[in-house]
Parts: sequence; C-alpha cells; structure tokens
Amino acid sequence: MNTADYLLIAKAETASKPVLINGDQAYSYEALQHAAAMLLHGLQHAGVQPSDRIGILGANSLFWVASYLAILKLGAVAVPLATVASPEDWRRNQTFVQCRAICVEQKLKGKLQHMVLSDVALLDESSLTQTSSKVWPEPDPTFDLDRDAAIMFTSGTTARPRAVRVTHRNLQANTESIIADLGLTSDERMLVVLPFYYCFGLSLLHTHLRMGGSLALCNSFAFPETALDMIERLSCTGFAGVPSTFQTLLRNSSFARRNFKTLRKIQQAGGKLPVALVDELIAATPGAVVHIMYGQTEATARLSSLLPEWLNTKRGSIGKGIPGVQLRVMNEAGDDVQPGETGEIIARGASISPGYWNDAEATVQKFIGGALHTGDLATVDADGFIIIVDRKTDFIKSFGHRVSSQQIEACVLELVDVVSAAAIGVPDDARGEAIILFITLRTGGAMQLLTDQIAAHCAQRLPRHMLPRNVILLDALPLNPNGKVIKAELKKQCVALLAA
Amino acid sequence: MENLEKNIEENTEELIRQYISKDILYTDGKYPYADDASLLDQGIIDSMNVLQLILFIEKQFGISVPDQDVVPDHFDSVSRMAAYARSKSPRL
Repeated sequence: MNTADYLLIAKAETASKPVLINGDQAYSYEALQHAAAMLLHGLQHAGVQPSDRIGILGANSLFWVASYLAILKLGAVAVPLATVASPEDWRRNQTFVQCRAICVEQKLKGKLQHMVLSDVALLDESSLTQTSSKVWPEPDPTFDLDRDAAIMFTSGTTARPRAVRVTHRNLQANTESIIADLGLTSDERMLVVLPFYYCFGLSLLHTHLRMGGSLALCNSFAFPETALDMIERLSCTGFAGVPSTFQTLLRNSSFARRNFKTLRKIQQAGGKLPVALVDELIAATPGAVVHIMYGQTEATARLSSLLPEWLNTKRGSIGKGIPGVQLRVMNEAGDDVQPGETGEIIARGASISPGYWNDAEATVQKFIGGALHTGDLATVDADGFIIIVDRKTDFIKSFGHRVSSQQIEACVLELVDVVSAAAIGVPDDARGEAIILFITLRTGGAMQLLTDQIAAHCAQRLPRHMLPRNVILLDALPLNPNGKVIKAELKKQCVALLAA
Repeated sequence: MENLEKNIEENTEELIRQYISKDILYTDGKYPYADDASLLDQGIIDSMNVLQLILFIEKQFGISVPDQDVVPDHFDSVSRMAAYARSKSPRL
C-alpha cells in the first residue's frame, strides 16, 4: 500500500477526530485528507509525474502535511527542506535532487522564488482553497513499496549534508517498529516542537497519523514557556525533543516546577543526553515515562530504545534495537565486540535506506552489504545493552589516548549552571590534540560561574589527559537546524583563531 | 551620569536594534524591520537567539529575567523588548 494510504488508514474510524492542532485551528482526519486531495490535484495540474522530486518548505502545518501526503500518493518523492537554512542552501539542495516542483509556504515564497529555476512549479496555501471538492483516489494494492518515498537531508553535523533515499517500505517498517516499541495508541496527543523536515520530527507525524492520534504543532521552541503552556492547555500526552530541547527546558525554563497532569510519554533522541540531565528529566516529570532512543536519518529514523523499565539499571545506554532492527557492535576485524570493547554500531532491517541520492561513493562506504555502518562507536555490557562512546569523527587524540568528547561534556553538564557544552580537539605539539571546551551558561544570576571553576570541576572528575586546555564561554553554540552542535564549525573557528 | 541614563532611556530601542543587526543578523547596516515586527514571524531569530537576546537585555539594562518572563509578549519585537526592559529596570 502507498504510504499516504497507510498513514491515513485510521481515517475510517476517526474521520471527525482532530489530527492536527495549529494555533486556534483544529483539523480533522477528514479535513486533512481533503486538503491532501486538493494538493494532489494541484501537483497533477502542475505536470508532476510519478518519481519526480517535489520539495516541501514551510513550518509544520496542515499545508505541510497535506503536501507530504499528496506527493507520496502521486508516487512522487517528497524532499523536505529546512526552513531555517539559508536561501543559498535551498538552492543547492533542491538543485541537487532536481526538484520538479516545490510546495512552499506563502511566507517563504518571496525568499525562495529567486533561488529556483523558472521551470520549477511553486505551490502555496492557495492550493487548499479551491472551491471544487477533490476526490482522494482509491488505494492501489499493487503499489511497489521499494519506490523512493522521500529524500531526507541529514542534519549535517559533518561539513556537508547528505541526501538520504527513504523508500515506502522503509517508512512503513520504521513506523511499525516505533509504534510497537513505544506502545502508542489512538489516545496520544503529541506536542510537536521538532520540524517535520527532520527525521525524528517526521517519525512523530508517521506514528501518530498511523495510530489515529493527534499532533499539536508548536512551531518555535524559541519561547519554551509557550510550548509548556500548550502541553497544559491542550492536554498533551506526549513530548519529544533532542538534547538541546531538554537542556533548555531543564536549565532555562519553568519545566521542572510545573505539574503536567496529562503528560505520560517523553521521547528523547537525536544525540546523547548526558546522564545528569536524564536524572533531572526523570525527577521533573514523575507522571511520565522517559524513552531514551537512538537513530539516524539513514535508518529512516529510529534504531534503538532503552525501555523505561531499564532506565534505572542501564542509564547511559541507548538500549537495544527496536523490533525489526538488528543492531550489532563490531570491531575492525568484523567480530562482535566483547563487553567493554569498543566497536562500530552496525544496523540491519527493513528501515535501512538503500543509500544516498546521487552519491555512489558515500553510499558504498556507509551501506555495506545492506548493513548501515553508523559511524557511532560503542561498547556493550554483559546483558547486550549498547553504550555509545562517541562519533567516530568526534574523538580527540590527547596524550596518546582516544578521548570521548561526550564524556567531557557529560562531566561539565553535572554543573547545573551549564546549559550546553561541546568539546573538540585542535592540533597541539605537546598533547597531539588539545581539548577545547565550549560552554554556555544559564541566564539569570548564575553568570558568576567562572571558567576556572569549570576547569576545577573537570580536574576533580576526569583524568589528566581528558582535561580541557581552554574553557571558552559562548552566548550560544553553533547548532544545525535540528538542534545539534556543529563541531566542525567550532573547530574551524578555533583553528583560525590559533593560526592568527 | 544622569545624562548617560537619560541617553540609555531614549535609546533603548536603538540599542536593541543595533544588537540584533550586529550580533544576530551580522549586518553592519541599520535594523531593516519595523520595531513592532515579530522576530519569529520574520525569521529574525531562532531559539538560540532568544537566549542571546535575554543575556543582552540582562547585561545591557542591568536586570534579571526570570524564566516565566521569557514569552513572546516580552521578547518578540524591538518595541516589546524595550517596554519590558523599561518595566523592569530601575535605571530606565
């Protein structure tokens, strides 16, 4: 079955139920399908053919979701574009995948218009206001699930984002796995602060649509109090975020002081949340279960999760592969690591992408014999729980030791006044690489926390080869659109500074 | 000293405009939006910039911004920020 029909399957029983809540507007499953039918008609009218790549650019909204469903239903390939990227990035990304058309929010159309070729059709919200009713075509039982459904740009903590092909089979397999793993039901109401152009955000859309749940859209996390008010006002049952989301909530908002009566599931993925903050998160939300998860765009979204019942004994672990995903940690000889030994996480399953768009070289390096080589280095414990040590590329070589940047960051994040931290290595004659630690501090009275206090805390907790040579205070860390720290950028600035 | 305080009061909006232009938009030119333009709607700021703005307001006007005050009503435009700073600062 086409993924658009697969996602709208709950509509039969939940036609009048709100599926999207955006500001004061609530849209039912029926309204969503109707909107998607109008967009489908608009795309056909623009001459879109199956297999054409179609961009989507806009904040999470009815228009975004209707565009996505219409593109899938047509057998075309959805290419979600990051709203916060520069117009130059939009031009590069949509040219790279040769978009035939772009569904673009009116507000961004002006900025986009002069970045696209004249033969690229642009559709905006006006496609939703046609007077004549449009029919949603019947499901095609012979639809080939191995066709590309979407091309997702990776979040680009590396220098250059990559375009990941995701098939209909990938999407449906991962959606089933996540629903089973989290035990999602039709009663869920998720507060969505993550953009749908990011695979974690998109997984929230997939799973909640499929289950007949609903999604409340909060399009900016710039004002966390607004998001928290929405959880209370709209009786949300779920909330999902990346580490920077929870760092902000726990250290710079009233999150921990509120009592969320309806919130019962919290999803955290998109990078390692330091254990000290996991502790705070659990303490702050006694009525909810916390799911710590791990994934990659190359695996559609989710790869593993730590079930809440293991949270106390296995804290710090990313758990095990979710249903349908096989995870192994293998050493360079290709053998499974022994407990305590470090190797790379290798993933198999129906949700693993067939590869990158138009990048055969990167594809053969990352996808070997159908298995995804994640680039994440990890170890396992005696019970098979996986503990990530670091990204392969983020390791620092200090005094002959391979140092995990994440371990240093976790150490300073034990200090409650530290909001975020990033450790990098820069060339240093004596050390090999010197560790430079960047931190941001919470607002308010805590600004007195000095860099030498931070250095002293590290000195108490870490061996000498893990101590930062410099601690640098910043107002903000450079983040990519999905809230991940761009270490390459920090490194570049640091090296330039040292050279000067 | 009195003159300086008067100066800051009169220039609250201008100080905020200059900060956003220089440290968020990275331009040398003038702030290109209206004082009541929404920073979020115009895509001028994202979540990291809000923290940056709060730090700036705290340092510049010598006030402390509690978490519950970090809402669009106080921070989503130049005029709202200026009004907030005035309401909180004994100096203004």
